[in-house]
Amino acid sequence: MKSTLFVITLFCVCANAQVRYEDILKGASRNWLTYAGTYQGSRYSPLKQITPENAGSLVSKWVYHVPNANGLRTSPIVYNGVMYVTNSNSVYALDARSGRLVWQYVDTRSKKGGVNRGAAILGNSVYFTTTDNYLTALDRQTGALLFSKQFADAEKGITSTSAPLIVKDKVIVGSAGGDSGMRGFIAALSATTGEEVWRTFTVPAKGEPGAESWGDLVEWGGGGTWLSGTYDPALNTLFWTTGNPWPDFNGTPRKGTNLYSCSLIALDLDTGKMKWYFQFTPHDTHDWDAQSWPVLIDIPWHGQTRKVVLHANRNGFFYMLDRTNGEFLRATQLIDNVTWASGIDDQGRPVELPGKEPNADGNWVCPSVKGATNWMGQSYNPGTGLLYLLTLEQCGMYTSSSQKPVPMKNFGGGGATEEGGQVFLRAMDPKTGKRVWEYPMTGSGRMWTGVVSTAANILFSGDDDGHMIALDARDGKHLWHFNMGEGLTASPITYEVDGKQYVAIASATAIFSFGLFEPMKPMATPKVVVQH
Amino acid sequence: MFIPGTFYITAVKLIIIVSIMRAVAVLLLAVPLLAQHGAYLNESKNPAIGNPASIALGAKLFATSCAACHGPDGSGGRGPNLVRRAVWHPLSDEMIFSTIRNGVPGADMPPTKLEDDQTWNLVAFIHALTGPASENKVPGDAAAGESLFWGSKTGCSNCHSIRGRGSRMGPDLTNIGSQPLAVIKDALLFTSRRLTLAGKEGVTVTMKNGGVIKGIARNRSNYALQVVDAKGELHLISMDDVKELIVLDHSPMPNDYGTRLSAGEVRDLLAYLAHQTVRGSQIASNGARNQ
Repeated sequence: MKSTLFVITLFCVCANAQVRYEDILKGASRNWLTYAGTYQGSRYSPLKQITPENAGSLVSKWVYHVPNANGLRTSPIVYNGVMYVTNSNSVYALDARSGRLVWQYVDTRSKKGGVNRGAAILGNSVYFTTTDNYLTALDRQTGALLFSKQFADAEKGITSTSAPLIVKDKVIVGSAGGDSGMRGFIAALSATTGEEVWRTFTVPAKGEPGAESWGDLVEWGGGGTWLSGTYDPALNTLFWTTGNPWPDFNGTPRKGTNLYSCSLIALDLDTGKMKWYFQFTPHDTHDWDAQSWPVLIDIPWHGQTRKVVLHANRNGFFYMLDRTNGEFLRATQLIDNVTWASGIDDQGRPVELPGKEPNADGNWVCPSVKGATNWMGQSYNPGTGLLYLLTLEQCGMYTSSSQKPVPMKNFGGGGATEEGGQVFLRAMDPKTGKRVWEYPMTGSGRMWTGVVSTAANILFSGDDDGHMIALDARDGKHLWHFNMGEGLTASPITYEVDGKQYVAIASATAIFSFGLFEPMKPMATPKVVVQH
Repeated sequence: MFIPGTFYITAVKLIIIVSIMRAVAVLLLAVPLLAQHGAYLNESKNPAIGNPASIALGAKLFATSCAACHGPDGSGGRGPNLVRRAVWHPLSDEMIFSTIRNGVPGADMPPTKLEDDQTWNLVAFIHALTGPASENKVPGDAAAGESLFWGSKTGCSNCHSIRGRGSRMGPDLTNIGSQPLAVIKDALLFTSRRLTLAGKEGVTVTMKNGGVIKGIARNRSNYALQVVDAKGELHLISMDDVKELIVLDHSPMPNDYGTRLSAGEVRDLLAYLAHQTVRGSQIASNGARNQ
């Protein structure tokens, strides 16, 4: 064996670029720094290289098959030419131009499986959460572990699936597991150590205000927070949605409105204190989590500009609230087939129709358990002034069980099946709450794809049939499609490296990146010298 | 991978091995029930597996009956390296049992006439040997090892990091304790034998624009190259922009630690490294791996 000392000499002192809060604040650029691209939840990019005119020349630039993936939900993060994607308990850093793996981090200590919706980035660190609730920070360039700190007990039915949201020096994480009984929360953790800064529960403890809206099972009431939220820097407020109450389909043991399940809550960033809440579906019995994006925009309303939050709910209605105080402004029908309520009253409460609860024989109700929409990314485009999202016209059979609920036994208090149905990508006008255009899809009603739109008036999404699609954002006209060969369960993003715009999305098992066609020039292999 | 017949033992290493072996025999008493690798151990049904008393008895048997060929610490010799084998090509307990009982026909491994329970004690010991170092008590002074790791005598931290401290060019060692002690020792003393270099070669890249980048390749194809330099900065390089690429055919890791350090220092350094895990010394079926 020969003794060789590899002497490192520094050639260049590279500018140590870092992701700053100010960079995330600016929204999407060449980089895509947070799950929704912007704090407003708009999945909007100013990139303009790909246009409705040239979209026909889009081709797949590379594919990365994520090991052991099945139903990827990850929304990529891109910074300085490196893309970060996640799978259950793992992160992969890819060269965003070539798709080649730079590093991977796999935490095999977590015994649970489960989905993961993506990573977050700040400074030189990439963050993700494991299924057993460890916030893990990795060096963005090498994958070296910086810390891994547990923020919730997996033994109490809590798991973690959402991409963390980073605001200033805090990493905001949520909780999943509400379908089998747990107590939901949102927590702010230190970005430097993972230590808890604050934690706000979405379900009150016994004796606390709101506990009277439940029965004895309040402390297992659910109210999961399994999707990232949005943030308004001027109000210093986080907007987060909460999941269904537990047991899902059996409301008998939890008489009352079940606060703060199926709600949008506004939290002070510094303290976690709840500023206001708005419950979309009081005493939900159809598993209609409120997990759908709270999109923040400012629009003219009755003669003045209002700071509003748009929210398309699983229950079939499209809401607009004043985000400074939670005041209900308007709700319209998001989908055509809604049979459980005749509308939303002027206080924002659903006008429920009788006989629409799940029962022992099964009750046919619209929308289905998947909801009128769901957690997939929505896009608000300031150029067109429209909100784009996937919606599902589907009904389903809801059954309830009178069996005694047992926390963490995955007992939903019944069940639901759905049948048929059709997915539509719809453009909604926030000024009126009305539909402007729609793009009908074929497929089996799976509907798990998000939307990204750009300043070039183009939008990208996935259809219900396994195609990546590009549409004209102004009128929904088809521009381009690509058969991904399998179902899509994630939301697309767009980014730029070396002056070239890419659009990336996770299919069920792989990451695809698309760009405009360029003939490839022959590449001369450089001189390679093997040193002994 | 291990190549039979190429193993040799230096005087220094022998001392280390013996001292480690002595400690292993005693201290594996503390091996937790689940301190094992992967699925094959979890399938174990024999009560000897994970039983500290059985492991201690197995260790004694190993020292007298197996160490001559497999090395006192199982790292191989005339016979295969059992630790590596378990990492890369795990065998079921039943397979190990039957190999001990029947030998390997056509090879040097003879059949044995041990009683069933004795054989299971041996299997239990071999099991424990493949467990994460962090879950076994190891000999040496971890505090002294810490000073060595961060000091100039070893220069470890010029290439390696632990929990964000140190250089990010070489492999991160935050979770190195999830590896068996013998594997860590092997990586420290016999670096060039490590054949896990694919994508981790030392490279010097001369760009067509005249720039030179030195570091460790994280990924290299005919068309693209990703390099982390000594500052921990990642360079994404298209081969189209490269004029010349120098690739080391061996690990950039110095291979003189066996002589640069005393036996005691090696032991201390190993003790420190053995303590490095993602989630402390928590019991788990496997460690996180970071590549």
